[in-house]
Amino acid sequence: MFRILIVEDDKGLVSLLEEHLHKFGYTTQAVVNFEKVQSEFEQFAPHLVLMDINLPKYDGYYWCRQIRGSSTCPILFISAREGKMDQVMAIENGADDYITKPFDYEIATAKIKSLLRRAYGTYAGTFNERSIEVEGLTLDIERLILSFKDAKVEISHTEAKIMDELMKKSERVVSRDRLLEKIWDDETFVDDNTLNVYVNRVRKKLTTLNINDALQTIRGQGYRLLPNWGSE
Amino acid sequence: MKLFLREQLPLFYIYLAQLLVITLIYRLDGHRSLAVSLYACLLSGCLFIGYLIYRYLTNRSFYNRMENPLAGSEDFAGNNQQTPLAEGLQHLLKSQFRHYQKDILRYRHKIDDHIQFINQWVHQMKTPVSVIHLMIQNEDEPRLHAIGDELDKLKKGLEMVLYTARLDAFEHDFVVEALDLETIIRTVTSSQKRLFIRSRIFPVIRMEGRIGIASDEKWLSFVITQLITNAVRYTVEDNRKIHFHGYIHGVNGVLEIQDEGVGIPAGDLPRIFDPYFTGENGRNFQESTGMGLYLVKQICGKLGHRVELESTAGEGTVVRIIFNLTKL
Repeated sequence: MFRILIVEDDKGLVSLLEEHLHKFGYTTQAVVNFEKVQSEFEQFAPHLVLMDINLPKYDGYYWCRQIRGSSTCPILFISAREGKMDQVMAIENGADDYITKPFDYEIATAKIKSLLRRAYGTYAGTFNERSIEVEGLTLDIERLILSFKDAKVEISHTEAKIMDELMKKSERVVSRDRLLEKIWDDETFVDDNTLNVYVNRVRKKLTTLNINDALQTIRGQGYRLLPNWGSE
Repeated sequence: MKLFLREQLPLFYIYLAQLLVITLIYRLDGHRSLAVSLYACLLSGCLFIGYLIYRYLTNRSFYNRMENPLAGSEDFAGNNQQTPLAEGLQHLLKSQFRHYQKDILRYRHKIDDHIQFINQWVHQMKTPVSVIHLMIQNEDEPRLHAIGDELDKLKKGLEMVLYTARLDAFEHDFVVEALDLETIIRTVTSSQKRLFIRSRIFPVIRMEGRIGIASDEKWLSFVITQLITNAVRYTVEDNRKIHFHGYIHGVNGVLEIQDEGVGIPAGDLPRIFDPYFTGENGRNFQESTGMGLYLVKQICGKLGHRVELESTAGEGTVVRIIFNLTKL
């Protein structure tokens, strides 16, 4: 499993990051002694480093240069500074990529995954990610295929995002706002009416898999996916 | 010259009075020759005029200097025609100038320190904001949505503080490059998707071809975010649109941001770009700082863009940013 070293002095942020990374199966360690980042790095020998810039004693640039003296391991900066110069500085000091605070989990994990893939050329460690399954109903997010028993149906990118969200929170209500936010794309904006259209398409596709009335509308709140097909 | 004459006028009167007094005394004493008196007056007058001319010539540059106001706070120097008065004044001005300079320097230091403090503080505040942001990110409860909304406001507030503090040091902090207007707008609107969704107001983007503009991405994004925030805030009804229209007009690229909101009362229009001016809308809506449009105007000015705003109360507002075109 991949090991990730977190060089960040805010404990709250560290514990949230660790918790999130553990979900993806990464092993993490947070730096405790900010005067000996280099030796903690050497002991833990991580596959990737998450580095803050503002640290006690020395800054992230300094530690990045130190690490670069002995290792080419990917270093991802996470910083509140969003100036162009700061990013340039980070890259010049040996960073591989840069995210600014406050950031989304999705962006952080996407960048971590891409860095690991580039450095170690493998898709390992991304389990539990490319498909999601609820009571036999499987969504393959990469191939955009929804399957149940022997039946399969192709779905669009947007429909997959809706299904993904509903399946992750199956049996619970997902608000319209959240779905809108998830399917909002740089290219197309989805307003209320369009969301209704998409949800209806998802319903139809579920019907072709012989799943009926599983996607419920909860008035004034949102939608809910009830796994009513499991008992069949 | 005028100042000199005004200055010497009392002396002139005194001199006349004195001439009169003296001729009168001689006359009363029995010297009745008018010609001699006139001759004496003439001689004395010549001396007097000679004195005035001498005074004027030696002090000419001093008087000139006094008559022309200073353009800036430059030193009172370059006067080589020294009379005691001029010298004294110059000395005084010089010492005063030095005092002011010291004061100004001290304040500049203070302001620099303050700006640095603000910068640091904002960056420190961003960590707790990120922590809350991460904590509520995967939750979907109304209560946490509300926290998310407040958090967004907090983020906007921090950004505004940061950008306001940076405005003075603008010259060190911008990079002009060729940007695709559409990409910028799509990026900014996506980054504000929560705001749009929560207020049930959606953007409509219409671009007439690819428009390449010369600007700084970070500052321009901030400007557009400000305009979006305003547009959304002053749109009261749900399911309205905010239109982003990009087109080429002559040698310029134009971005039009049009909302269907409450508009701005005609009486407020002349002052909307003033700092801290909130106007009537500011009283009716919360969270107006009056700084948004001021910053927009200032930043656009520094980036070399022109801003125009038209508004009809009750119908909406159009903001136009006019750019210089560039090749992508």
